[in-house]
This record gives sequence, structure tokens and C-alpha cells, in this order.
Amino acid sequence: MATNAIDQTRRMLSLVTYLRERPGAHVQDVARAFGITEDELISDLDVLPMCGTSFRGGDLLDIDTDGDRIWWHNPDDVAEPLRLAADEATALLVAARAVATLPGLRESDRQALLRATAKLETAAGEVGAASSRLSVTFESEGGVFADVDRAISERRRLWLRYYSPARDELTEREVDPIRLFAVGHTYMEAWCRSSEDRRTFRLDRVAEIRLLDEPAAPPELELRDLSAGLVQPAAEDPEVVVEVGPGGRWVAEYYPHDSAEELPDGGLRIALRTPDPASLRRLALRLGGEGRIVSPPELARSAQQAARAALAAYDEPVRAEA
Amino acid sequence: MAIAKAERLMNLALCLLGTRRPLSKRELRGSIEAYLEAGSDDAFNRMFERDKDDLRELGLIIETVENLDGETGYLARRDSNRLPPITLDAEEAAALGLAAKVWQQARLAGAASGALQKLRAAGMPEAEDAYEVHSALEPRIPVHEAAFEPLMLACRDRRPVTFDYRKGNAATPEQRQVEPWTLECWRGHWYLAGWDRDRGAERVFRLSRITGRVRSRAGAFTTEVPDVVTVRETVESWAGETATRTALIRLRTGAGYPLRSRAVSVRELGNGWDELEIPYGHGLDAWLVEFGPDVVVQEPADLRADVVDRLRAVAKD
Repeated sequence: MATNAIDQTRRMLSLVTYLRERPGAHVQDVARAFGITEDELISDLDVLPMCGTSFRGGDLLDIDTDGDRIWWHNPDDVAEPLRLAADEATALLVAARAVATLPGLRESDRQALLRATAKLETAAGEVGAASSRLSVTFESEGGVFADVDRAISERRRLWLRYYSPARDELTEREVDPIRLFAVGHTYMEAWCRSSEDRRTFRLDRVAEIRLLDEPAAPPELELRDLSAGLVQPAAEDPEVVVEVGPGGRWVAEYYPHDSAEELPDGGLRIALRTPDPASLRRLALRLGGEGRIVSPPELARSAQQAARAALAAYDEPVRAEA
Repeated sequence: MAIAKAERLMNLALCLLGTRRPLSKRELRGSIEAYLEAGSDDAFNRMFERDKDDLRELGLIIETVENLDGETGYLARRDSNRLPPITLDAEEAAALGLAAKVWQQARLAGAASGALQKLRAAGMPEAEDAYEVHSALEPRIPVHEAAFEPLMLACRDRRPVTFDYRKGNAATPEQRQVEPWTLECWRGHWYLAGWDRDRGAERVFRLSRITGRVRSRAGAFTTEVPDVVTVRETVESWAGETATRTALIRLRTGAGYPLRSRAVSVRELGNGWDELEIPYGHGLDAWLVEFGPDVVVQEPADLRADVVDRLRAVAKD
């Protein structure tokens, strides 16, 4: 984590309190307790001897380290645990309340979290009140979640009936679950035995799930870095170009894209990549008069044909432009 | 070489916490090396004001006291800055550790680890294994919207704001003047609820539709902040999840699983078709069109007409 001056000051204030109680503490242990690297800790320990109540009077913290253990030769009583700041209380309370709402959380963990939250609210006092101005709800699908969670901890294979919106169909497959994560919706990352590839499944699209007796044996994989976004199209995926009017601008919010160019009418020309352009037929139909597929032409034609076939059932002939 | 800001802030904090009587600016300048090096009085004054604000952001309560000579003094009293006693067991500590990791936004991630560090300094026990995962779940709160941080601060400090907002179907953004109440994340997107001054009514805004910068306005809120703000209900109705009526559709056998999973009733018609009764909320027409020739709307007539209109727009060249 990049260190800025505010975070470092905050950390050093807690550090002196912590070190005061632990003469000769090990660098390794302190770094772990503070969730920082040993290098970050050492750089804090380089700053602390320059700090005190008077540099002229030589009243500075006499803290030093040999790289293994840390000694404070003149501990004083300045070092008391400090009250929580509003942002600190908010960050921790909002996160704790959000995590506690996850239906898939183990009951013992939820109880521990609720107890901790109550204690934290008391300790935070009035600064905790601002935390009600921020809230987060995770979507999760309780029953499915519990089965996936169990399969992961027992390392068992799963059978799924899974809905694919791109094809509007349910497919059956066996997967070896790797992990669960929640970013808005809750997802399972798994090794799909049918496609012999890594796949991400959104839990609200799981129509049916069963734990199998076979052990899960996913190949050793490096976990994807989710901070770059869930959908990470590949450069070699075919390009689709969509032009939307003002009413179709939401497309740029929902679909990761390479470019979105402003059009004179207040619309956008959006270029995106997908391994399966046919899956965007749904989008073309949904857009109606608010947008159209520019390329590939076969995708535009397939949407048009689908619309014509649908209209036939309403007995509405397609007239020329009125 | 200039003295690092963290060192300067740390010194100011230790001076203010260590004193039993208020210290004047002159005394503080004499005690802190970085302030002596500050050069002009102006430079020192600006630096000092900024540093006090930064320490207040970190939770320090700094009092301003005028002494008998009319000189202003500063101190951070121990008893008002002390964390009240809090005892957490190892399970509770581990649960908070999991929660602190969910933020993907730098300011809140820093604040959450800062809170854990204060609790650690106050004696919170450490988990046996810091990476022990109790549940297989890795929850993450995404924050991609640039408007998030300024709005979070404005909600916290109850400051009015203005921003340019582009409504879902509008070509150009429009300036809105808002008294921000709360931010809520639902299905991975952030929303702001607040009082829209121009419209004189409560409004919900989607953060991804805020264009340009969020600017703070001077002055206080002009309306009372309600005790309960219902962002989620508003957004659910946008998303068509608050249905007021039902619709009758025909659906090809095997198609449209999501429609089936929320159907009120399903009846087999034979010939490869089923008849479904489904909740009819905002946006249903656009959704039904996605299924192309696999869906035929029967009732009500207005939904049928909307779907036909949409299909015709796609069918024509």
C-alpha cells in the first residue's frame, strides 16, 4: 500500500503506543500486527527518533532497532491509545455492517462481527454517527452460497445448472470451485471441467446446484486481480461497434469498452470487444430505437431478423418508414 | 532537505498531546524543527493551519485557548483524545480484520487499517494466522466513481454541493444543487440521496452519471435530514423490481429461464409454448424484447404496444 503522510502519521501514533507495551518487540511481529511490510515499519522507525516534544531540548523519542528487535529507551506516557477519527469509525463500521448482511457468512463469524460492531459503536461515540451516511448492500443468494462455501472448504466438485443470458439457455456442467467473491453481485470463480477453462459464475444465475462426492482438483492457477474489473476482454476478441442515441448512453456504463466517442446528437459511438459477438443480439434488441449495431453486419442482420420473426407473431407487418 | 510532512505532523501531535498547558504558536515553532525552517511567517502560518486540519482529520481534538495576555494557545487534552476502553476477543478481531479489507477506495482503505492499528495499539488480540480465512468469501466494495470521495466528505460534514448530472436519457448534463444526505452501494453501483434545491424535492442520483467535478457550496442545509432515507426502494423501482401489475406472456418451451424463475404462474400450452403470468414493473418492455421471437406479449395492451414499437424499430432498416 502506498504510504501517504496522513496514513503514516496515523500509523506512527499507534505504533508508539504499541511499542511502549512491548519492549524488545520483533520487527517481523510488529509489521504483521500493523498489516505493513517490514520495510514500511523500518521507515517509520527511521522517522520516530526525529519526533518528540522539543528538538532543541533534546526531548525526542529514543527508539532504535537493529533490524530484528525494537527498543524504546525513554518511553513516556504520551503514548495512549487515541480515539477513532470519523473516517476511521465510518470505514470500519460500514464495512462490518455490510459483511454481516452476507447470507453466506458463517453464523459464528456473523455473531463475532455483530459483537465487534456493537463494541466499536460504543468506543467510537459520537464520531460513529456519521457512519450512517454510508451504506453497502451485498447481493447474495443464500442457499447457493452455502453450498459453494461448503464445497470450497471441503474441496469437493459441484454440479450446476447455470443460466447463460448470452444464449438464453441453461447448461449443465461440473466445476471445481476456487473462490467466492462479492462485487455488487456474488460470484464463484471455478475451473469448469466441461470447457477445461477458468470460468466466473454469478450466483443468481445458478438455477440448480449439487455437491458431488468427487474431490475438486482445480489446476494451480494464479488468482485473477479483480481490481482491474470483472470482465477483461482479450485484445484478440472481435470488435463490435454500437451507435446509441442519448437514451442508450447507459450501454457505456454497463459494458466495458475500448472507446466511447461523443456524437453530435448527444449519443455515443461505442467500440467494445467480446469473444462472442452473437451474445450481443440481446443488446441490439433491447436498444430498440435508441441505438443500432454498426458492425459486424451479421450481428445487425441477426437482430433485425429476430425482430421481424417476433413481429410476425403479433401479426404486425413491417411497413416502410411512416 | 525539506523535512518530511509525516515527521512534522508527528511532532505537532506529540507536542499538543504532551503538554498540560496550551502552547502558543511561537512556542510550537520553537519546538518543531520543520517550523523553524519554514522561512517566512506567512509560510509557517499556512503550514501550521494545514497541519492542524490534518491532525483533526486523524481524529485529534485540538482545543484553542486564549491566555491572559490575549495570546492563542493550543492543546490536545489526553482525556478527550483517549480511546474509551474496548475489549475484543480473537474471533471479533478476526471478523473486523476481514471487514477492513473490503474497501477498494484509498481513503477508506487507509482509514479502516488506521482504525485497526489504533485498536491493535489498545490491545486488540491478533489472529493466530493473519491470513486465516473463516469463510471462503472475499467481499469487495468497488468504488470506481470519481464523485465518491467529495460526496462522502460532503455527506459527513453536511455541506451542500453542486455537480453536473446527466440523466439516463438526457443528451447533455444539467447542473444540480444538492444537499447530500447518504451514499448507498447497491449491486455494485453507488447512489446519492439528498435534497435537490431547484426541484424542491428529495432525489436519488447515480454517481456514475455525475460528470465533471463535485463542488462544495458555502452555507448550511436548508432542509431537515430525514431519519430514514430510502435509496434502495427508489433504485429498485427504477430497476423494475417494484411491480404494481402483472402481465401475461407466451414463452417458448425451454427459453427465458429468468422470466420463469419469477413467474407467478406457468401453464403449458403445448406446441412448444407456455403461458406465464409475470410481475410488470418499470422496464419490462425492454427486457421482454431481448428474448426476440421466443416471447409474445398478450396482456396488457399498453405493454404489448410498447414491445411491438421496440421490435419495429429494430426490424426496419
